[in-house]
Amino acid sequence: MSSFRYPLRWRLMDALERAADLLWPERLSRFTGWLMIAPALLLVGLLVLGLAEMADGSLRTLDRATFLPSEELSLANYETALGSATYWRVFGRSILGATLATALTLALAFPYAYALVRVPGAVTRKALLVVLFLPFFIGQVVRAYGWLIILGNGGMVNEALGLVGIAPQRLLFNFPAVVFGLVQYLLPFAVLMLAPALTAIPAETETAARSLGASWVRTIWHVVLPMARPGLIGAGLVTMTLALTDFATPAMLGGGSQDFIANAIYDQFFRTADQGLGSALALMLVAAGSAIVALVLGLFGAGTLAMGARR
Amino acid sequence: MIHRLTRRGLLRGTAAAGSAALLGSVAGTRLWAQEPEKPAELIVRAWGGSWVEALKAGVSDPFTKATGIAVRHDLTEDNEIQPKVWAAAAQGRVPPIHINWDTTTNATKSALRGVTEDLSGLPNLAATTDLAKPVGLDGYPIVNTYGYVYVLAYRPEVFPDGPPKSWDVLLEPRFKGRIALYNDGIGFHFPAQVAGGGSLEDIPGNMQPAWDFIAKVKEQQPLLGEDPDFTAWFQNGEIDLACTISTNAREAKKNGVDIAWTVPEEGCKFDTDGLWIPKGLPENELYWAKQYINFAITPEAQQVWLDGLGLPGVVPGLTPPADLANDPSYPTKPEDFEHLIRISAQVQVENESDWFAKFKEIMQG
Repeated sequence: MSSFRYPLRWRLMDALERAADLLWPERLSRFTGWLMIAPALLLVGLLVLGLAEMADGSLRTLDRATFLPSEELSLANYETALGSATYWRVFGRSILGATLATALTLALAFPYAYALVRVPGAVTRKALLVVLFLPFFIGQVVRAYGWLIILGNGGMVNEALGLVGIAPQRLLFNFPAVVFGLVQYLLPFAVLMLAPALTAIPAETETAARSLGASWVRTIWHVVLPMARPGLIGAGLVTMTLALTDFATPAMLGGGSQDFIANAIYDQFFRTADQGLGSALALMLVAAGSAIVALVLGLFGAGTLAMGARR
Repeated sequence: MIHRLTRRGLLRGTAAAGSAALLGSVAGTRLWAQEPEKPAELIVRAWGGSWVEALKAGVSDPFTKATGIAVRHDLTEDNEIQPKVWAAAAQGRVPPIHINWDTTTNATKSALRGVTEDLSGLPNLAATTDLAKPVGLDGYPIVNTYGYVYVLAYRPEVFPDGPPKSWDVLLEPRFKGRIALYNDGIGFHFPAQVAGGGSLEDIPGNMQPAWDFIAKVKEQQPLLGEDPDFTAWFQNGEIDLACTISTNAREAKKNGVDIAWTVPEEGCKFDTDGLWIPKGLPENELYWAKQYINFAITPEAQQVWLDGLGLPGVVPGLTPPADLANDPSYPTKPEDFEHLIRISAQVQVENESDWFAKFKEIMQG
């Protein structure tokens, strides 16, 4: 009788395999893919159900005598939203702010991600990563409060200006302050999405370009940037949608007069109790965001979000 | 509809003060023959900071001491708890809170929606002034617990000759970018109506004078925020003038900010907050929630609670905090109300969305 025994790890794996076979028999293997995406489908399904509920709510107007939604359905809330110069202005500001924030974020994220990928020293790379991740640990609201302290009338920047004889400047509570806050919020997302795309570009490609006489700037412009395009598109899509739907930054750094559409939605849901109008605005924001994403996908492809597919 | 507080209303409250003494304690007040089972805790929605501290000291802690029921304060914003309570009522669920400390305007919306319990049977209501009764509603779906004034708060160092006399001061060029209002304009619409040359009797029919005045204020690039923002802005030197609740200005002053407040000649908005109970609570919890509100309108609870807030209560005979004696934001006598503007909650509820939209239209331009 042989005393041979398989290693413990093998036996454990065999046991797990037998258990898995009991739970999900071999004959069901053709559905394994569906099983794996079932949790995601469930989440998306819940989201769709929520949107359907909001769509229904958006068709009901608020009866101010009872503060109940109307029984009959109408497009009155959409007419109100589309007929309001205020909402058009807020929509326009949201799109402009998101576009500017995305462009500036990508411009700043690219060199950071490039340095992160190409820097030779492990210590420097780790330091760059720590600096990048720190804001994630702090949270968006606290970060915005940080800017209130730094850029306020009595803040560090104005104190520094005071040292050279410049009177305190209003650096907060305006549109540039909101865009600035968004860029700071979005930068880590963009770097984290760009870094894998830049890692995939072999350093030898740049060496080849340099050996053929290209300057470093021309190498970046003609070689690295085009090859990083998938990463730029993916990062741009994510930052654009995050900026377009942001609430906290306009609320805190805008001084109340630089609302984005998310702030307008909040006002309807929570300040005037008009959930129908809030739902209509929310669905219009979803539609606008989807249209922008579709436009980018149509023009430039999905970038890294295409997961290796051609488009 | 405009309400100026009357001498008769105040006297009626005074006459009832005697009976209040008999009903002043929780233990001495029984709505049922036998006390129902006590819940482990009552959840009271409240505003944070000095607001909740005052409630805790004046009402919650003494209530816990008297009954043994713990009180947990839920600091969810009043506007944000509202849809949650409404959804719970619509779905037949137990509401997320036992008692809502709310603005009367917001509470009136909930009352109109039918999600508030009737509080008419609270014994201590007999000893309250007219102010405790919500205007335009049947019974007591809400019990108003105090009044407050949206004053003109200012930095005294920029007014060496004395407090500003008119809301027109907001339009002075030297204050460009250094004034603040609530971000929905609350508290400012009615004084703006007068400052703009209009009449209070025209509210809500014709508020064009208010919008014209607010449009001029917009040119001054005001900051727009919520209660905590005003204190922070004064502290950080961002603003010199603000239309805010006197409690916030007083809190900033307590924190060492050089700040004062006044009621300008055009008047200031006077409004009320209250307590109410959402429908859907188990019977025993409803009973004890009512006991909490009943206790909140006793003179002893009001005295401590409202000392903390610096606001006038709804039972007669309260002593104003020393720093607020003869303060225009702490009205106690009928003549104190001459410059205070009170518009019924019903009118406010019916028109608030339109006023809010109009204010936004001007300010987001």
